[in-house]
Amino acid sequence: MKKNSQLISFPDGITLESGHILNSFDLMIESYGKLNESKSNAILVCHAFSGNHHVAGEDKELGTGWWDQIVGPDKALDTNKYYVVCCNNLGGCAGSSGPNTINPDTNKIYGSAFPQVSVEDWVKSQKMLMDNLNIPYWEMVAGGSLGGMQALQWTIAYPDKVKRAGIFAAAPKSSTQNIAMNEVARESIRKDKNFYDGNYHDHDVIPKNGLKTARMLGHITYLSEEHMDNRFGRRFQDSQSKMNKGIDFEIENYLQYKGDQFSESFDANSYILMTKAMDNYDAGKPKGLIESLKNIKAKLLIVGFYSDWLYPPERGKEIQLAAMQNNINSSYVILTGEHGHDSFLFHTDKYSKIIRKFITS
Amino acid sequence: MAIELSNIIKDWIPNKSKVIDFGCGEGSLLKELMIEKNVFGYGVEINDIKIQRCIAKGVPVIKQDIDKGINEFESANFDLSIMARSIQCLKNPNLALNRMLSLSKRCVVTLPNLGYWKCRLNIMNGRMPVTPELPSSWYETENIHLCTIKDFEKLCADEKINIIDKVFLNRSGKRGKFTSLIPNFLAVEGVYLLEK
Repeated sequence: MKKNSQLISFPDGITLESGHILNSFDLMIESYGKLNESKSNAILVCHAFSGNHHVAGEDKELGTGWWDQIVGPDKALDTNKYYVVCCNNLGGCAGSSGPNTINPDTNKIYGSAFPQVSVEDWVKSQKMLMDNLNIPYWEMVAGGSLGGMQALQWTIAYPDKVKRAGIFAAAPKSSTQNIAMNEVARESIRKDKNFYDGNYHDHDVIPKNGLKTARMLGHITYLSEEHMDNRFGRRFQDSQSKMNKGIDFEIENYLQYKGDQFSESFDANSYILMTKAMDNYDAGKPKGLIESLKNIKAKLLIVGFYSDWLYPPERGKEIQLAAMQNNINSSYVILTGEHGHDSFLFHTDKYSKIIRKFITS
Repeated sequence: MAIELSNIIKDWIPNKSKVIDFGCGEGSLLKELMIEKNVFGYGVEINDIKIQRCIAKGVPVIKQDIDKGINEFESANFDLSIMARSIQCLKNPNLALNRMLSLSKRCVVTLPNLGYWKCRLNIMNGRMPVTPELPSSWYETENIHLCTIKDFEKLCADEKINIIDKVFLNRSGKRGKFTSLIPNFLAVEGVYLLEK
């Protein structure tokens, strides 16, 4: 599969929801497939909190794309038929303007000076990207988790620019428990002695330990209890492959490994910014969800997974019920999903079929 | 059956009604009503394959076990709710009826008639009825609350549910000449329009 990566500059900048102005910014994007002549086959994929623009296929640095099981030739989002675009969100750390990039106004790394962005800001920047790519509308906007929130926000903010939205393992807003989990993760980063209030680049260090602990906690919330039981049980880690001496169980080793890997590739400020954007989003702002969805013209497909305890299926149903009050063509499907919250990432026959049927319906 | 049923329902509802179909199957009935009556409809279904077919047809569908409650749809202000050939499968058909009538102005219920003469013949012979309309044996059937036309109308009376209209279908799924004369004996299926 041919993929095309590019860094697109927006020299006119963007005014953020907070009122803060970025005088200019860049978005790193990856695209697959071809835009057809009538420009009617474009799909925007929105990534979840720790994702990036590399959705599908292989990349030397970034490995296999995070949604490779769903996006590609003959897959649910078929790149033989559709032109699929994904950008690294503003404030991320995979090439787009964010805390780990240079602030053109000061020629220094932004660090803690990068402003807080919101889901609304991301959608606004993605709309600028759509215009930049000369795409008149999205045949579909799709995403899981925080990506699903963006898909929902697209239908609210630009009702005429989205035909369909795939909202997977998502919610109209984070729950109290979601926010609580994220705060523990953020606290572990902030309390790392190498964090320096977000200006660790100035000291040539990274708050690796804090980031690692944050990811380990996050990882637990992405998996289901059953999945962990089946995959690791109470098995002991064999002594040759232990990450450190204190480890007994396979699950400990797994979390240590995942945490290490993540802490070397992800930016701590981005972690805080992304989780804050997730916590702050509320599709029902300011007058309630029913009112917010009033102008939606897109068809919605909301998918939840029984094994997801982070954004359980009932959260997706809140969107469905509000959509029904507004006579929106909206379907709500619950699938088993073996991987907890992460289930949205993985192909199953039922999941892929439903996406495929939805997009051609 | 969907064609005859949609014809009956078409006479009962105004254009552009908002409809919810409980146990909508593959969405054929809703699709017909959507095309011919411009209704805005949602299906409720538990079977994943049937849900896929609804989505392929463009019929909005919600995955849900009706037995676990349908209260949450109350605020959506439906004109009509439909439960075709499903009410006898529910744990509490009487509760479901009342719920349907609180979430929509009217409801359409269809049910197989256990009083149909062939069923009676089966029972006379000392066996549970197995007919083309009720094909499963007693240990396999999902029909845990079968009733006769008379039973159902008594339930409606007891629950103070008004029967606005009713149609009785014969073996071929049509309105037979004689079927409505002694429906409890001759009808295979009863179709009711109810209100409370």
